[in-house]
Amino acid sequence: MASQYVREQVALKWTNGFARLNRGEPGITGLLTFTEAWILAREFLRPRDINETKPEFVLTQVKLAFELIGECKMLQSLVDEFLEEMKQQQFLITQECERFMSQYESTSDPQYIAQLVMRLQQWYQAWQPASALGTSMMASYTTAFQTHLFSILPPSFPRGFKALISVTFNLTHRASVPQWLLDVAPQVEGQRPDLSLWVAFDQLGFLDRYDSLVSGVCHEYVEEHILETCAEKWDEPMLAKVREWMANTIVPWMMMPYGRGARTSEEARSMLQAVGSRFDFHLCKTLSELRIKEIFDIIVDYPDSMGALQDLKECLQRVDDKALLVSSLRKANHKRLLHPGADTKLILSQYVSIIRCLRVIDPVGVLLFKVADPIRRYLRERQDTIRCIVASLVGDGESGDSLVDDSEPIQPLQQPQADDYTDPQWEPEPIDAGPEFRTNKPSDVISTLVSIYDSKELFVKELQVLLAQRLLAVKDGNYDKERRNIEILKIRFGEASLQVCEVMLKDMTDSRRIDQHVQAQQSSVLHPTIISKHFWPPLQTTTFDMPGQLKEIQERYSKEFVAFKPDKKLSWLPLLGTVKLEIELDDRTIEIDASPLEAAFVELFSQKDVWTLNELIDEVGGSIDRVTALRALSSLVLHEILKESPLDTFNLLNTKEDIEKYGVKGKQREVVMQEEATLPVVTVQQQQAEQMQVFWKFIEGMLKNLGTLPLDRIQQMLKFAPDYDRSIDQLGAFMEAARQEGLVNVKDGFWSLSNA
Amino acid sequence: MEQLTTTVAAPRGAPKATVAGSQSEAAGSVTKRLSSELMTLMMSSSPGISAFPKSDANLFEWAGTIEGPAGTVYSGLSFKISINFPSNYPYAAPTIKFDSPCYHPNVDIVGGAICLDILQDKWSAVYSVQTILLSLQSLLGEPNNASPLNPDAANLWDKPEDFKSQVMKHYRRVDGSNA
Repeated sequence: MASQYVREQVALKWTNGFARLNRGEPGITGLLTFTEAWILAREFLRPRDINETKPEFVLTQVKLAFELIGECKMLQSLVDEFLEEMKQQQFLITQECERFMSQYESTSDPQYIAQLVMRLQQWYQAWQPASALGTSMMASYTTAFQTHLFSILPPSFPRGFKALISVTFNLTHRASVPQWLLDVAPQVEGQRPDLSLWVAFDQLGFLDRYDSLVSGVCHEYVEEHILETCAEKWDEPMLAKVREWMANTIVPWMMMPYGRGARTSEEARSMLQAVGSRFDFHLCKTLSELRIKEIFDIIVDYPDSMGALQDLKECLQRVDDKALLVSSLRKANHKRLLHPGADTKLILSQYVSIIRCLRVIDPVGVLLFKVADPIRRYLRERQDTIRCIVASLVGDGESGDSLVDDSEPIQPLQQPQADDYTDPQWEPEPIDAGPEFRTNKPSDVISTLVSIYDSKELFVKELQVLLAQRLLAVKDGNYDKERRNIEILKIRFGEASLQVCEVMLKDMTDSRRIDQHVQAQQSSVLHPTIISKHFWPPLQTTTFDMPGQLKEIQERYSKEFVAFKPDKKLSWLPLLGTVKLEIELDDRTIEIDASPLEAAFVELFSQKDVWTLNELIDEVGGSIDRVTALRALSSLVLHEILKESPLDTFNLLNTKEDIEKYGVKGKQREVVMQEEATLPVVTVQQQQAEQMQVFWKFIEGMLKNLGTLPLDRIQQMLKFAPDYDRSIDQLGAFMEAARQEGLVNVKDGFWSLSNA
Repeated sequence: MEQLTTTVAAPRGAPKATVAGSQSEAAGSVTKRLSSELMTLMMSSSPGISAFPKSDANLFEWAGTIEGPAGTVYSGLSFKISINFPSNYPYAAPTIKFDSPCYHPNVDIVGGAICLDILQDKWSAVYSVQTILLSLQSLLGEPNNASPLNPDAANLWDKPEDFKSQVMKHYRRVDGSNA
């Protein structure tokens, strides 16, 4: 029922098609020759089992046949036909593939993968149509072949492929080449043994498909090498060595997957450049990650770990791992440093090392600023931080290594300075600096440590206490060391801050002068240290009355002193100082260096032989408490001068027999013996506690009269109190403590007195 | 001792030199005097009397608290007062008035004005906040009935029972929180 038009169209097509195939030959001879050519071409192309022998073809005939088909514009159909036939033959490849893969899966030996690859290459080459068919023909063949190939490769293949690639890394030495590789891959003289393998990879499209796998293998290889050679090796820079290793080992290998086609070394270099820098980046990344993981220990080892720091610095310029460095160092510090188990001195010295190390890595100090913040905050909370810093300032020799490098020049403390924008050398803050970043000009370590606290006054105060302790401890009258320290500190803290210390030092020398004068008038066994009360930190003011001859000596001396300096009054601090005693007992003489209190007790025992504890305390009077008295007495017991028996009653051991009589091994009281001798100076903390008492009076006064007040108002009002220098946080903590003691209430942030 | 005074005096002297007028210099010394009086008062811990500046900006206005002395009709009560210091203090007496109503012969029950000789003609520069507060405290127990501001109270003084009830009638607890 087709219409007339359709019939005409079909007839036209038919004649056209016939004319094209018959090429104007008489009858259908043209058609017949075409058919012959078609059959020949198909036979020639047919994908056969490569185990069978391929029939011989006369190449000129084949060529003519292709030309004829081309003339008839039937090449495309031929290709379609060929691809169709190939699809039917593909089971042959599948069979072989399965055979090799099952061998590999049972042995995990990469040589089967190599065999498979070489075999696949043979198939590929056998079925490859002649190049005369044009590039598009080749392309569609390759696509079809690869599509099938990839569809049949089992999941275990990538693993095997990876293993095979790993093998190729170790082919630098002829000797290390496995025999199977030589068997499998045809060898080319003067080339790497794995060259043909790589050619096969490329032909089969494996390099494109498994590109990330190939580079992944290489990355792993590089990582492994770095971890092996560089881990915990910090004394020399490793980066250059690793790069050298890479040039010697990895680059020749890289020629295979990435630079095979290069004819000259120049060409090879340009081909490898992109991939090479990718690998170099990976190398830096791996090394920097390793170093970042080790950073805490590297810092501990400083300065022996200078090499590692150099590495890290160079790597960080290439790899953006600064954030990682900051976070991991902060984490490590938190875990290993900033906990109650760590000694303040250790924290300080590690902090100093961190400062030095991060300066090496990042001279501007952005990293340091980010890392140091938690440490500084933690140190601020520690009570003995100042003391530790001050001790290292004056070079407290006991601990050995001082925080301060002796070779560093002594310089004044540096205050944070505002930027000088007129300076032509001025540079803006680095791009990764945080909003609170302060350009920390490379200043000396001490300035950085002192800047943990807002004011240096705290240091000067602590310094005063420390100096007082040290001056009072000096026995031989040699104050050169202290004088030198003070001079050094003057440079750091400025002359004005240390004036008090200067006076203290002067007191010591003046004491000797005054003493010489007094001795000249009337010689005495007493050699007092005379200090100016106003310039010294508060000293232990416990007083007691010296008994007997000791009192006489004191009074005689006082009288001489007043005669010499009529405008001054000498008030004794009887708990301080030492007394050289020579105790004559019935059958022996004992010489001891005793505290004044001990001497006082010995003096009392020369009056009678048996005293009770309470009698002794009453006799010396003053503000001596039980513990202090017991400590002095127990020291005398240890010298076998006294014996406690019974409890709280002390007997003089006049003769050796007495010792035996009372029995040294008798029941001994567990005396409260504190290892640490009480310090003569009231510590800064004690001073602060006393100050807080004053402030409390003010707080009480204002709350009583003004009713309820918020914390910030209290803070404001406390400026009426003398020397008020607490922060609002400290005040808050203090108020909270007062609340827990039930002194104040707080409601909605307003504080009031409890009893109001 | 000499050294001490020089070091302490130096920083205080320095800002003074920059201040121009004698007026502000005088104000500075008044402030100094008031600060030291505050310090003394805070550290003295006299029972029943207390005072503190109303704000940190102005040291010339204080608020105070006086507790009635034991054994008087005012025992157990506490009164709020306000103290205003003149700029020429201590050469002139501070102005003091009761903020809480106080039924007392020498205190104006409405305005809180106080009739006390040392606050008027008997004032002397040796008095201080502390002495004033102590005087006021003792005035509560020993009124001067010869010159009353509140004649009713003066007349009632001899009848302690009635007086006490009048005191309690007018008394208002000072702290708002417990009222």
